Amino acid sequence: MKKYEAVIILNPNLSSKVDEFKKDFDKLLTDNSFNILKTEDVGRRQLAYSIANHNKGHYILFNLEGDPSKLLEIETKIKYNESIIRHLFLVVKVHNGEDSSLLIESKNKKPETVEIEEKKEVKTEKPKIAEDSPKEEAEDSKKEGDDNE
Amino acid sequence: MSKYDLPKKFDHKDIDILKPFITETGKIIPARVTGVSASNQRKITKSIKIARFLALLPYTDMHQ
Repeated sequence: MKKYEAVIILNPNLSSKVDEFKKDFDKLLTDNSFNILKTEDVGRRQLAYSIANHNKGHYILFNLEGDPSKLLEIETKIKYNESIIRHLFLVVKVHNGEDSSLLIESKNKKPETVEIEEKKEVKTEKPKIAEDSPKEEAEDSKKEGDDNE
Repeated sequence: MSKYDLPKKFDHKDIDILKPFITETGKIIPARVTGVSASNQRKITKSIKIARFLALLPYTDMHQ
């Protein structure tokens, strides 16, 4: 048995399905005889650089206990899970029982960040719609562009 | 002694503690500049590198 500290960064578009993911992931861990000592749902955070074209990520931290040989199986499953954009398992001597600074920071900021994120989502969705719809809109935009000039 | 508030244990999640030890461009500042002890510098370097991997700190300022 070794003690682990895990950080998992989820695809931010799946933030609403975090609970489902957590259930699946907990199952995966417990099936491989891992003990989950603590989970921290940090929530969405700005990434310092984009990973797989995502500028935000949903961070989840775990304190785990389990067998190193089983960890390989878990990691191979994580590899093919597309909702996880990055993961890290670290061996620790002793678990730090306190809340991480990330969680504290996210709790303090939450009311503001939620609004901003929602706005951004709307913006990102619009261009997709424009792509789907055929040429008519493109022509309209051209006309508008001419007027502006 | 030093002007930095250094904890006993360094953690890759404590970005605020690590931030004074990287430059604006994201490089790790050498210990001869910050005056941190060699053993602390090793710990700081290690946690900065982990934090970079987790996208908590930048590798460089040239990220898109």
